[in-house]
Amino acid sequence: MRGLRAALAASLALALLAAAPAGAQDRAKSKEIVIGLGAEPRTMLAVTIVDWTTNTQLEHIYDRLLDRDARTFKPKPMLAESWRIVNDTTWEFKLRRGVKFHNGEPFTAQSVKATIDYALDPASKSHFASAAYWGLVKEVQVVDDYTVRFVTKQPWPNLVDSASLTNSLIMPAKALRELGPQKLAQQPIGTGPFKFVEWKRDERLVLERNPDYWQGPADVARVTFRFIPEFSARMAALLSGEIDIMKDVPPHVVEAVERSGRAKLRATVSSRINYLALVNLKPGPMQDVRVRRALNHAVNVEELITQVLKGRATRMCGPLAPANVDYAPAECYKHDPQRAVALLKEAGVDPAKLQLTLDTPSGRYPLDKDVSLAIAAQLGRLGLKVNVVVNEWGTHLDKIKNRKTGDMFFLGWGPALHGQGTVQPLFLADQTYSSYGNNPVLNEKIRRASTLLDPKARAEAYAELQRLIRDEAPWVFLWQQHDLYGVASHIEWTPRADEKVWMYEAKVVAR
Amino acid sequence: MKKYAGVGLTLAVLLVAVLAPWLTPDDPLRADLVQSLRPPGTPGHPLGTDQLGRDLLARVLHGARLALFIGVCTVLLTAVVGGLLGLVAGFVERWPSAVLMRIADVQLSFPFILLAMTINAIVGLGLRNIILSLSAAGWVVYARVVRGEVLSVKQREYVQAAAALGVGRPRLLFRHVLPNVAPSIIVVASLQFSQFIVAEAAISFLGFGVQPPTPAWGSMLSESRDFLYVAWWLAAFPGAALALTALGVNLLGDWLRDRLDPKLRV
Amino acid sequence: MRAYIASRLAQTALVVFLSLSVVFGMVRLSGDPVLLFMPMDIQAKDVDEFRQRLGFNDPLAVQYARFVAGAARGDFGESLRYQQDAMGLVLERVPATLLLGSTALLLTLVVAVPLGVVSAVRRDSLLDHLGTLATVLGQATPGFWLGLMMIYLFSVQLRWLPTGGRGTLAHLVMPSIVLAAFFAARIARLTRSAVLDVLGEDYVLTARAKGLGEGRVIGKHTLRNSAIPIVTLAGLEAGQLLGGAVITETIFAWPGLGRLTVQALLNRDFPVVLAAVFLISVLYTLINLVVDLLYGWLDPRVRLR
Repeated sequence: MRGLRAALAASLALALLAAAPAGAQDRAKSKEIVIGLGAEPRTMLAVTIVDWTTNTQLEHIYDRLLDRDARTFKPKPMLAESWRIVNDTTWEFKLRRGVKFHNGEPFTAQSVKATIDYALDPASKSHFASAAYWGLVKEVQVVDDYTVRFVTKQPWPNLVDSASLTNSLIMPAKALRELGPQKLAQQPIGTGPFKFVEWKRDERLVLERNPDYWQGPADVARVTFRFIPEFSARMAALLSGEIDIMKDVPPHVVEAVERSGRAKLRATVSSRINYLALVNLKPGPMQDVRVRRALNHAVNVEELITQVLKGRATRMCGPLAPANVDYAPAECYKHDPQRAVALLKEAGVDPAKLQLTLDTPSGRYPLDKDVSLAIAAQLGRLGLKVNVVVNEWGTHLDKIKNRKTGDMFFLGWGPALHGQGTVQPLFLADQTYSSYGNNPVLNEKIRRASTLLDPKARAEAYAELQRLIRDEAPWVFLWQQHDLYGVASHIEWTPRADEKVWMYEAKVVAR
Repeated sequence: MKKYAGVGLTLAVLLVAVLAPWLTPDDPLRADLVQSLRPPGTPGHPLGTDQLGRDLLARVLHGARLALFIGVCTVLLTAVVGGLLGLVAGFVERWPSAVLMRIADVQLSFPFILLAMTINAIVGLGLRNIILSLSAAGWVVYARVVRGEVLSVKQREYVQAAAALGVGRPRLLFRHVLPNVAPSIIVVASLQFSQFIVAEAAISFLGFGVQPPTPAWGSMLSESRDFLYVAWWLAAFPGAALALTALGVNLLGDWLRDRLDPKLRV
Repeated sequence: MRAYIASRLAQTALVVFLSLSVVFGMVRLSGDPVLLFMPMDIQAKDVDEFRQRLGFNDPLAVQYARFVAGAARGDFGESLRYQQDAMGLVLERVPATLLLGSTALLLTLVVAVPLGVVSAVRRDSLLDHLGTLATVLGQATPGFWLGLMMIYLFSVQLRWLPTGGRGTLAHLVMPSIVLAAFFAARIARLTRSAVLDVLGEDYVLTARAKGLGEGRVIGKHTLRNSAIPIVTLAGLEAGQLLGGAVITETIFAWPGLGRLTVQALLNRDFPVVLAAVFLISVLYTLINLVVDLLYGWLDPRVRLR
């Protein structure tokens, strides 16, 4: 109780004394950027929690092993300068020399090993210990100070993709050993372009420029992340100059941003995809491929994009988007209500008597609930009766996992940068969030594709898979989201499709 | 003044709720994507349309139905359950009274709205559950008031006299005590009514109550937040409807209290 | 007196324990919270491993025993979302809520009590009618709607005030007004009727008859005696402010206890929910205890038992 009282008194005093934050103009002069995000980070430790918001903030402090090219999305050197495949189950990375952590500790092969060991240690409770992340790694071997090897339990072609995501943010070995994760979580130490200053819960995370950054110091002197859960509140904060960058500008207010004169819109086609699952993992009309195809002909995706999303989405015709390294083009289902009705009749279903249930989350993806209601309205034009159930996010996930959704559900997936990451969890019956499965041909082909190390064989395997999946119509294929950022006029920054929001790439230009 | 405003407003809302389907030809759920986000005054849509082109007037009017439905159900449920428990506790005293008061303490150790919300978050969302959670959080007030009233009514001469004459306990309770307690129950009910309606809206607003597309004022307001920049009417009208309803019912409750039980404080 | 406080505190402990048990039971019956905290491409067996590690696979009785043992030491386990001590997360939010709550309470008293007194003394004047209108409207306007409209007007249109968050005094303006509005209306009405009651009492008439100045009549005789119901209600309201804070904090992104609770409920972060329930019920009952003590002090006729 005494600790409580002291804490109360101290923080009350702090709250009252808190200084006024600088206005947008002062910030332009002092080269400070404030970014509005929907949530705060869930930890300050690298490789612990899989969560975009968390890791986006963390990668200002920590560097990845490999980066991605902003345009081609191919892996490119970062903390590692090169990589090669030694044999089926061994990858070798040559590391950059002369890189130092914020505490002065040198970056070496030991850092990489310590980081991955930490992630795999059950005591860390890291999500990255799962098979979808580093779980396939048997061991990390230190060859010399600047050479490190990843030995995997089975051939794992996607290791390099994993290494070029925030999956591979590297922590300092010595500090991790001596201070322990608890201390590092309070005072994170990385090799990144910014150093940790303070984290005020539910309020802000403040970082300052690392003058000794190995790629040269950033143009931005100070980065502050502010946590504002509501779209509308973030918008207001952007337009009043409280923040400089926000993600997820709702499509219908784009014009208001452009008109404001304070900020401009920066849009990019995201690797994140949205789809309408047609559930065949439970009995019902969706067991019949003709019904699933009919729905693909019945839903007018173009109309949804123009009317609901105001053009802020890019249509997809198969399960993978061009931003995916394993993408192959597929032929679109044409919007054709007559064909849809014909297919339904062929399947022995009377459209006027068909009653379907559609589960949707609300506020998780851009206008998700509105899209679902619009789809129901479109299907209504054919006489189908669609009952839309709006779920709170946790309930939505529960329903999908327990196969308790209606015949259809709305979901997003991403960042979807490699084929295995989409087809394996979404088209196999035993996966947590899949809606479709029990197709022996697909099962075998998905399994085989995930083990191919040869680029050509891999490309062919995924192209075939995409063709098959398109014909099986397990989803109504919808679109790639567009990431819409509002960016203050005095900041130069271009968003990237892989959702990396990295202020090292931003410039503050005084007006 | 109170009387006319209260009775008038409440009656008006009631009429609108009952007649909603006839007052507006539009289906509150019918989406028309081409007509989305039209401002008030658009032909055919006097209050404008929402992001899916649904008619706002139809949604606000049907929202009145839902609000009153929830209010009535909750008030009835809490009045019957809370009233009976209070009656029994006040009449029997001893352990039923003690048990009831402890339960009431447990409930009152937690803010009403937070309690209802927590119950909803845990048992699930939807119309039925919000009625149950509001009732579960709201019955205590009746129980307390009624128990207090019963305790004092019991001391009155005519009750004492009836008891002395050997009138049976159930008869004593329902013939002599209940009629004297009834006015308080009515007053509490009328005062609680608007609290329930506003609480339901607040809970739905926070995302724990009635889910879209059902036209509930709270969830309409919650949806309106994303469109505050481009469509003020989506926030203005459902909120105004809610405030007017609460105003009417509040005034009615005040008037009833002044008439029936001026000493009562809830 | 000391015995009274001791027994009240014992009762509080019992009440808090019971409410925690009820919430614990409901929470555990409501399903599996683990999924929400895991990445979506995780395998079913990894999820199960997590659940095992967090103890969600144990029998309910074992989980309850563990919970009670922990709670007795103030340990509610680790937040599922942040993998940090749940009670610590909750305590961090308390100052913000206290700041907002006390500002709102202050605002309420500063505005409502004078308004009520003046309305009563100048009964049926224009001021009284305006005041009544304002209080009636204030009671009927839902706080979250008022907040929404204020954001639209003062932040979006006029850009005078920040939309939310904490930091400067400007951040405090809208949340405290919204939080205070409803309670101010109630307290103003109550003050008015309490003062009217007292003004009709014999001793006030006597004081006037003695030729005491109106200022003294109101100040000394009337106010002290009408204070009792006002303090009682203000105390009850102080507790309700905690409930109101839930909504206000959410609308204005105020980093307090209420917002944390809403977020934890939405995220099914049950250790945090339980820790918050614990703290809120403790705060709430303590406030009520203080009110009762004040009550006895103001009105010596009331004997606390």
